[in-house]
Amino acid sequence: MKKILIVDDEEVIRMLYGEELEEEGYEVVTAGSGHGLMEMIQREKPDLVILDIKMAEHDGLDLLQEIRKDFYNIPVILCSAYSSFKGDLKSIAADYYVVKSADLSELKQKIKMALEGQIPSQPSLK
Amino acid sequence: MQIEENPHGVQTADLIVGIPSYNEAGLIAYPTEKASEGLIKYFGSKNSVIINCDNHSTDGTRETFMNTPTEVPKIYLSTPPGVRGKGNNLKNLFEKSRDLGAQAIVVVDADLKSITPRWIKNLGEPLFEDFGFVAPLYVRHKYDGTITNNIAYPMTRCVYGRRVRQPIGGDFGFTGELAEVYLRQEDWTPAVAAFGIDIWMTTTAVCHGTPICQSYMGRPKVHKPKDPGKSLGPMFLQVVGTIFEMMIKHADFWKEVRWSKPTAIFGFGLGEMEMPPPVDVNIERLYDKFQTGCADCESLWKDILSNNLFKKLSEVRALPLGGFEFPANLWAEILIDFAVAYRNRINEKEKLMEGLIPLYFGRTCSFVTESEPLTIQQAEELIEEQCEVFETSKPYLLNRWSE
Repeated sequence: MKKILIVDDEEVIRMLYGEELEEEGYEVVTAGSGHGLMEMIQREKPDLVILDIKMAEHDGLDLLQEIRKDFYNIPVILCSAYSSFKGDLKSIAADYYVVKSADLSELKQKIKMALEGQIPSQPSLK
Repeated sequence: MQIEENPHGVQTADLIVGIPSYNEAGLIAYPTEKASEGLIKYFGSKNSVIINCDNHSTDGTRETFMNTPTEVPKIYLSTPPGVRGKGNNLKNLFEKSRDLGAQAIVVVDADLKSITPRWIKNLGEPLFEDFGFVAPLYVRHKYDGTITNNIAYPMTRCVYGRRVRQPIGGDFGFTGELAEVYLRQEDWTPAVAAFGIDIWMTTTAVCHGTPICQSYMGRPKVHKPKDPGKSLGPMFLQVVGTIFEMMIKHADFWKEVRWSKPTAIFGFGLGEMEMPPPVDVNIERLYDKFQTGCADCESLWKDILSNNLFKKLSEVRALPLGGFEFPANLWAEILIDFAVAYRNRINEKEKLMEGLIPLYFGRTCSFVTESEPLTIQQAEELIEEQCEVFETSKPYLLNRWSE
């Protein structure tokens, strides 16, 4: 079973996404902020991370760079209520960018694509 | 055979900055100065050299380069008189880097007006860490780099699954080890010897499994821009011809690729990105060249394209400039049909490639029209959407390729 880590400061989003994705057959773990995120990824070893951008205490785009430095090969999907960050050059380090919606079909499709993606891997950026 | 001037008698180098050129006397001094400043500031402990690899320019490029005051020693290399091509210049650079035992090579264009010393750092530093090839990442005007935006980037992403935003950016970094790999390749075509070299280097690095990263340059690429309807013909043929050649060579690799992956990023934290200067494009000229090509190439297109695509193209052809639209999915599938035809028609490649140019003008006209009201960031999103369309066309490519 593939494990997905949802990082979002809104509890309702974590619950909604968590339930839907569990119904799809994924194992879900969640984090409400970026505190200790790298340690959590190290511990939980998720197959994919869904990352909010505008969080109360953290900027998801900065967290994305941290993830890319330490865990380059883990797929990351940026999931934000705002589409405006899509044009930020930092966001291209993500596998996909999805604008939040009550309909999770696009997110589910991108999860599938990110997990299916298959090319020679890259090293960590040290 | 190459012509060389090495007044400082440089015999070894850890790090080389190469500047390929042809008749760039008016502009080459600036990137040469900045390269020297970058090498001194960021790689002071390394043994460095700046090499101008030239096509025997007749406008005084050599004199300008050699007379530019720099702290770092310089070497001038040239192809023999009459031998042109950026690829030939870089081949000379690969050979010289092997002779000098270089660990890392950074290449910057001779017509760069926006290069800073930091470009040398960001293109060079990853090569002393885990990476073998560094592609640039900079903001370009939405109408600059139309071959990149409409062909090289989406095709590299769709075919090889690697998101390299500037695969023909012209400014690169690569290790001495990768230079050896380049020298061992046997697919050195006339197109690679010219402007096909950039996509050849990127694709070879991808298919060789070289660790790749993209580096933020912090400033937009400002160079001599070209109106795509006016002056990109030969470059188009060389770049796209090389893309198709490499698809043939690396088919076993790319058939296994599914979807795409982002490429590592180096050099974050450079602050706000500076916006590039505007680039003028003549939409009417692009539209006219598309329509003229429709009349000239109809029978060729009918022969190459599937019936369905030819029918859709006929619909596009009937659109007036006011409401002109050349959809991205049609463009992706047309490129795929041309790639297949290129593989199958060994003796007609030149004619076939000529037939693709008007379609490129049509797609570029549509992209310029669509992105006209958009900001550079919004246009970037449009390019990303086009890439996703290309990726969803991968099954079509696999089907056509197996026919």
